[in-house]
Amino acid sequence: MTARRMLGRVVLYALAVALLIYILGPFLWLLSASFQTDIALFQQPPEWFPDPFLTDNYRYVFTGKVPGEQGIGAVAAFTQEAQRIPRSLANSLIVALAVLAVNLLLATVAAYTFARERFRGREVAFFFILGSRLLPPVAVAIPIYQILRQTALLDTKLGVILVHSSFTLPFSIWVLTLYFRGMPREIEEASLVDGASRLRALFSIAIPLAAPGLAAIAAFSFLFSYNEFLFALLLTQSPGSKTIPVAIAAIAQNPDASYSLIAVGVILAIIAPLILASVFRGYIARGLVTSLER
Amino acid sequence: MRNHDRLSAIGYRLSARRSTAYSWLLILPPLALTAFFSIYPFIVAVDASTHRILLTRPKKQPYIGLDNFREVLRVAEFRDAAVNTAVFAAMTVPAVTLLGLGVALLLNQRLPGFGLLRWIVLLPWAIPLVGAGTMWRLLLHGNTGALNGLLLELGIIDEYITWLSRPTLAMVAVTMAHLWREFPLAAILFLAGRQAIASELYDVARIDGAGAFALFRDITLPLLRPTLLIVLVYETVVSMSVFDLLYVLTGGGPGSATTVLAWYTYATTFKFYNLGQGAALSLLMAAAILVVIVLYTYILPAKEERR
Repeated sequence: MTARRMLGRVVLYALAVALLIYILGPFLWLLSASFQTDIALFQQPPEWFPDPFLTDNYRYVFTGKVPGEQGIGAVAAFTQEAQRIPRSLANSLIVALAVLAVNLLLATVAAYTFARERFRGREVAFFFILGSRLLPPVAVAIPIYQILRQTALLDTKLGVILVHSSFTLPFSIWVLTLYFRGMPREIEEASLVDGASRLRALFSIAIPLAAPGLAAIAAFSFLFSYNEFLFALLLTQSPGSKTIPVAIAAIAQNPDASYSLIAVGVILAIIAPLILASVFRGYIARGLVTSLER
Repeated sequence: MRNHDRLSAIGYRLSARRSTAYSWLLILPPLALTAFFSIYPFIVAVDASTHRILLTRPKKQPYIGLDNFREVLRVAEFRDAAVNTAVFAAMTVPAVTLLGLGVALLLNQRLPGFGLLRWIVLLPWAIPLVGAGTMWRLLLHGNTGALNGLLLELGIIDEYITWLSRPTLAMVAVTMAHLWREFPLAAILFLAGRQAIASELYDVARIDGAGAFALFRDITLPLLRPTLLIVLVYETVVSMSVFDLLYVLTGGGPGSATTVLAWYTYATTFKFYNLGQGAALSLLMAAAILVVIVLYTYILPAKEERR
């Protein structure tokens, strides 16, 4: 290896380490802060590593047990808000999984129909569904609020599921239609000749072949729903339906909130999407590229 | 084979009518959801923008034509919000694009350990915006912020900076949070674009004696043009509609320093309950975004024009 190439490698690895710190640093600091007391955080400069290592913040969120000696001052005025985190997490997981299921079912069937059937009004229906995503969310917020109020779906998980589904379906249908169109027809045709119905061909042949596309839309719809904030904020109020972004925002906005407890909240909130993004990383990246490049 | 084709063609024709109804049945659920939660609400919003609707006076909602638009365009707050939005986009879009491109070129290196980097680069983009915003709120906090702590340890500052309570710095702070959250997407797209370029091109150019910079300028950059367009359009739309981050980071403040159009629209609608003007604002925002998209595709055609 020449000296010049050696130098090049050193530079590349230095940049890689810098990037690693830039990406993970905020996460790690948050994790560290969540195991500390506020008193430790308020030192200038703060403690970089938890000392003493305190699990009281987490225990408080889950059991309501007020932190002991060291944690005094850590629990400020927002007792109830922090204790709502587990409930909100459960709400978010239920809503996001339901949205994922709705997308897998409805978008697959619809996209397959768009890709394979020729029928009157197909183009119009396709543009009707896709075009809806051009509308800015703020513009439809108030009317959607009113619709949910009139149908008694306001402040229910079902209401949020329906709204999130309607926002994610166009994208899922788009990605999957591209996917199905890119697949050879011959195998399905063969099974049709053998007397299988279209839906049968879809489930036994097309879906297994389109598995990567399905994984991508599953990941997207889950992440969208889990992360969505504006509508969740407007449409949910009670602990039984509030999703985790709304709960986190409520805590973050509280001026009396303890910083270590805020850190606990954010850590708990980001576990699910982080796991999902790590597991489905390849599908997400490929899905993003196919969908945006058209 | 021929016969089979002919047979199935006849079969198709016979079932064509049944097939149309059946197809509509299969696409009906997403169609209905879209109509119910996007198209119909949009029509309601357009209608609302031509009426004076104040929640403080629910019984009286007269038709006022385009007055909402005129009033909105006249007030200074709107102009401030428009300027803030433009400033924010002007800071974040180039920053996200350049950092994304740089990171993509770095990730493209086939060196041991870089696979891990490609794996984790997406993480900031995957978490809720509210989570990212809250995270940066803690990082930038004036009393407990880790960034302050770090700068102090490094001896760059003598005392903590109150990032979020000074007008100019607050905008910089939001930009920092936005950049951290958005660059992974740009990086992933650029990386895919870069990997699609045939390596033979580089080999040939290298034989001709081209240096690293010439390779980048004459091969990478021109061939990444379509990706560049996508990134620019997408990131401009994202930065023009920034909202969640502001909600947890600055609340549009201090004063109106970080009040961008999305926040102003939200405040008009949900804080001042002026639903008519709120609807007008949101339509103006949609129009502005559409104009920007058209401008981009006009200025920067995806395919290089022949000269």
